Amino acid sequence: MSTIAPQFRLSRFIASLTDIIFWVLLIFSLVGLPIVFIVLFYIKMPLINNQLLTPYLAMTWMADPSRTLPIIKTLLHTTFFHVLAFPGFGFAALLAAATIFVERKFLAKMQLRVGPLYCGKIEGILQLMGDGLKLISKEIIIPAKADKPIFWVGPLLFVGTAGAFVSLIPVAPGGWVVANPSVGLLAVFATIGFFPIISVLTAWAANNKWTFIGGLRALHQMIAFEIPLILSLLSIVILTGTLNLSQIVESQQHYWWIVFTPISAIVFFICIIAELERIPFDLPEAESEIVAGWLTEFSGMMYGLIQLGTYLKLYAFAGLFTVLFLGGWNGPSVWPPFPADIVTQGITIGPVTAKIAGLPLFDQQMLNGTLWFVIKTVGVILLILLPRGVFPRIRIDMLLHTGWYKLIGLAFINIFIALGLLYAGVLGPGGLIQ
Amino acid sequence: MVDAVFLALSVLTIGSAIVALEIRSLIYGSIALMLTLSGIAGFFLLLDAPFVAMFQLSVYVGSIAVLILFTVMLVRRELIFNKIEDKRRRYAGIGLMLALMLGIGMIIIGSGMKSIETNSPSVDYKKIGEDFLTYYSPALIVMALILASSVVGALTLARREDMTNDQRTD
Repeated sequence: MSTIAPQFRLSRFIASLTDIIFWVLLIFSLVGLPIVFIVLFYIKMPLINNQLLTPYLAMTWMADPSRTLPIIKTLLHTTFFHVLAFPGFGFAALLAAATIFVERKFLAKMQLRVGPLYCGKIEGILQLMGDGLKLISKEIIIPAKADKPIFWVGPLLFVGTAGAFVSLIPVAPGGWVVANPSVGLLAVFATIGFFPIISVLTAWAANNKWTFIGGLRALHQMIAFEIPLILSLLSIVILTGTLNLSQIVESQQHYWWIVFTPISAIVFFICIIAELERIPFDLPEAESEIVAGWLTEFSGMMYGLIQLGTYLKLYAFAGLFTVLFLGGWNGPSVWPPFPADIVTQGITIGPVTAKIAGLPLFDQQMLNGTLWFVIKTVGVILLILLPRGVFPRIRIDMLLHTGWYKLIGLAFINIFIALGLLYAGVLGPGGLIQ
Repeated sequence: MVDAVFLALSVLTIGSAIVALEIRSLIYGSIALMLTLSGIAGFFLLLDAPFVAMFQLSVYVGSIAVLILFTVMLVRRELIFNKIEDKRRRYAGIGLMLALMLGIGMIIIGSGMKSIETNSPSVDYKKIGEDFLTYYSPALIVMALILASSVVGALTLARREDMTNDQRTD
């Protein structure tokens, strides 16, 4: 028996569900359908194969099983799907949500706690959904003296910028990326540059000393670590001779760049942790010093949006590390090929043989690439989560010292190593190792 | 399509530039300045120069605007800003701007720039880098020297003799 709702009855729950379904159907058929037909009256439908595409015909085509898969296949390659579902927002948000849950359980196990336990019976698996519902249903409180326009726009901009960052990460071969500009890496730098502005502006807008101190810390930290971050990636650009992220992945078919540029990888990893404001660099939201830093005044879903943006950013940075150093989607082909019999002869069940057009839905290469990308990215995410259970927070002057002195120097060392490899004729265009 | 985007970008850039000059709040002024600079990045994108556009975003919006925000937020504004409200100055400024724009516009239109072929393929950034390192290498060296000397100058100006560093660095 649940302790939250002692009056719970399954029969009443099912009854309420059927009730809702009944009302939805009734309202749709009385109000929705007439509206659809009124709208359709004014839209000019196209001619396909000398047939006017009436809604009836469109529905017939969609209901036709031999046409369903091709329709879905064309849908999969539209920009709409790319942005909303697979390499874009949906996929990233799913991974981000999984990250939040795994982080809580993982840290709990590291510190000999149990973590989320009650919600959802099995190891608290529904905790995340409960938290989300709580955040959505909470009241949004805005401080009386806050600068309201900036305060409202801040979380939206944060999620938007994180989404723009996610859209640049190539996931699988064959164009499975939302945006593929020829200057992808520069676009990443340009996108990263917006985060400190957003955090310091929202921190200022909340009109609270804790948020302002946190915001200024965030600004200091992100500016200090942006320079080594950019410098550490220059060695990759020198070696590959391109700024396009998909081409950088394709250049790693035989060797991952982490083999030749380990110092860059380490510098980049430290910069990721600092840019994400995670322990040991979580000074902007140091909860034992300045309440919650620049997030102090956010409540309800505004806080939820910031949190979503943070984890989207985490996924995007882990994906970028995978793309640049760990070979992206490259990996041994382990995904089983789609059985050819089903494509050529169809499925035979007893006397019936069903031949389905448009199979296979995804090609094997894409699934294999996605599998390897996800495995590597999840590994990097776990590595980013790991320090949270191990290290204490460091002081701000040590942080800035690390950023400005040590990491910049290390990044330069690896640039010179990369240049040496290039001029010795080992790597790069026309080198010994292609 | 491009014309509509161009018009929207122009309105955004010029409008936020005017806002940046005229608004009372310094924070909003710097936000408007950021919008102006982003609008210019948009113009570069329209001109098929994504390389320059991305640098415009990451340098001007990501760094310069952040520096301005820093200054506005951390320095008391009575110390750096002296408000002088003068109608005649404003009109003189607008007049000067119009005269300058007319003059430059006439020069540009008269210079035969209109006959430039606009359908040629966009220049690859690799070509720019190649040119910089071969034909324009003296200019590159001079620029690097100027930047290095300005960094050294900034460090010298920011250094303070009367303060001892008593914070541990270990």
